[in-house]
Amino acid sequence: MAKTQRSWYSGMATTEDWWSVWMGLAFFVLGLLTLSGIDLVGWVSYPKIWVASLPDGAIVKKIVTMDKAFYALGGKYSLTSKAFYKALGPIGSILVTYVVFTIATSIGAYFQKWNVKRFLAGWTIIFFLTYLVWFIGHNAFFAASAVDLKKSHFPVDTFTLSLGGGASFILALIVGLVIGNFFKPLARYLSEAAKPEWYIKTAIVFLGVKVGYLPIKAVLTGAKLGAHGAEIGQQMAHLTFELFTAGAAATIVAYLIFWPGVYTISRLIFKLPRKTAAVLGSAISICGVSAAVATGGAVRARPVVSIMVSALVVVYAVIELVVLPGFFTHVWPGTSDPIVAGSAMGMAVKTDGADAAAGELLDEFMRAKVEKDTDGKVVWMPGVITTSAVMTKIWIDMFIGLWAFILALFWVYKIEKHEGDRVPLSEVWFRFPKFVLGYFAAWWIYLAIFFGPGQSGTTPDGLAILKNAKVGAVAVEKGMRKLFFMLTFMSLGIITDFRKLAEAQFGKMVWVYFISLFLFIIPVAIIIAYLFHHGMQIPNMAGVVIN
Amino acid sequence: MSKQNTNDTSGSLSGEDMDTSSVLEGAEPWEPIETKLVVGSLICAAIALVIGLAIVPTSIFH
Repeated sequence: MAKTQRSWYSGMATTEDWWSVWMGLAFFVLGLLTLSGIDLVGWVSYPKIWVASLPDGAIVKKIVTMDKAFYALGGKYSLTSKAFYKALGPIGSILVTYVVFTIATSIGAYFQKWNVKRFLAGWTIIFFLTYLVWFIGHNAFFAASAVDLKKSHFPVDTFTLSLGGGASFILALIVGLVIGNFFKPLARYLSEAAKPEWYIKTAIVFLGVKVGYLPIKAVLTGAKLGAHGAEIGQQMAHLTFELFTAGAAATIVAYLIFWPGVYTISRLIFKLPRKTAAVLGSAISICGVSAAVATGGAVRARPVVSIMVSALVVVYAVIELVVLPGFFTHVWPGTSDPIVAGSAMGMAVKTDGADAAAGELLDEFMRAKVEKDTDGKVVWMPGVITTSAVMTKIWIDMFIGLWAFILALFWVYKIEKHEGDRVPLSEVWFRFPKFVLGYFAAWWIYLAIFFGPGQSGTTPDGLAILKNAKVGAVAVEKGMRKLFFMLTFMSLGIITDFRKLAEAQFGKMVWVYFISLFLFIIPVAIIIAYLFHHGMQIPNMAGVVIN
Repeated sequence: MSKQNTNDTSGSLSGEDMDTSSVLEGAEPWEPIETKLVVGSLICAAIALVIGLAIVPTSIFH
């Protein structure tokens, strides 16, 4: 199958997948330096919920005035450079964030052999457009929850949409889609820098920091509750491991049901050829673009099949992104089973970008709803639901290589019966999604800090180490992760051209995808998620400050 | 080996490659080996489901 010789390190300097690892881990390592008292990540600019002017009686707490809509995270969290980062102010912190990430992404663009000049121009526009949308999305009308309003002493009759950070994601997607579909020359100009897969894979490496940091955060915030704090920290560490094992089991089962189901629908109902059905089966049931390309290679389908299916994957992922978070929050399972919803999301949404983004949206929606419904008596830590969505997706991603390998074997030795062909085991490594390595490294190193020198926060020395770890972790998992999610949404919109579907005249595939996804994949994903995750609870952090 | 088999699956796509008729039409008849692939996968799923429900602490069996 693989005629050209490739080394195990092929693509390390030139592929998007590897560059998400390098960039993600570079900032992760910078964040770790806070363990030795050096804060090199506190410059990252983060938004606050704002209003043009505070109403009578209101105070600056969760909601601020427009001039304070952004701040350098180090100005709030840094233990060694708080004054310095505070002095940057909103504009200064945005400019430093721009400069640092421009350098980092341009290096990546150079090694990936993109047109650096065009990338730089496109990146600059996308970056500042993203911050503008982030600013608008954090207007209190869109983002403030009932709890935020209450904490800032706003009048009780103040109406807001209570979308939390989700408003910014939706706005970014809408702005991107408007550019991608109504300002096509601009979209083409920006295309060199509109790289949703790269941004989201980098964000997923940052998410690894988030997952590893969850127990640290729980202990530190819970420390204000005395002994109960350590208990919450242990609960959170336990929860992440549960998500890990339950996600693995659910994914294996889902995988083995999805693929034959979609393959059968494609072959028997829509009468598609075998190779096209195989590629569609992988794309719709497994992991979208990567799986389509991997399976296309494994069964040697014509490239046009993978390309067509990839276009469909992106469009349907956007539809799922818009529909599913709201459906899971307000129809079923709602806030009674948030982890089921997150896990189902991971199995149903077929691109890494859209899944992580949909998980983030679900996280925002669910947390806002549960706080509103309980009048602030139940507060969930941000990121747990996102983690549940990403965990199943990560497992699915890891199986892409294995499944492509099995299909390659099956096709060569059973379907086409080429006796002389050999499928090398190294194919699994080449098709393995490398960004997953960065995700796990970041997760497990922070977890090792928690259980190792941090001593689970049970001693004063351990607690001091965890406080230092928090400074670096927050800048990466909160500031950088959310920025890269925003960039993903914006870029996803920019590259999504709905007219392409009509032009390509592959209506049959559109229907295979539609029926398979909505009548088979999503219902099965929900059932499997329920079987493995039903009843999993997110620790209630009400009564402690959630940052 | 057919033309489809010899095509490289990597590389960029040119305009003429967007002829989709050959990949959407001409379905081969369903063969027993495909039944084996589909049924085998579902049997593996059933086995994985039972084992998973039994050993994963968060499953509804626990």
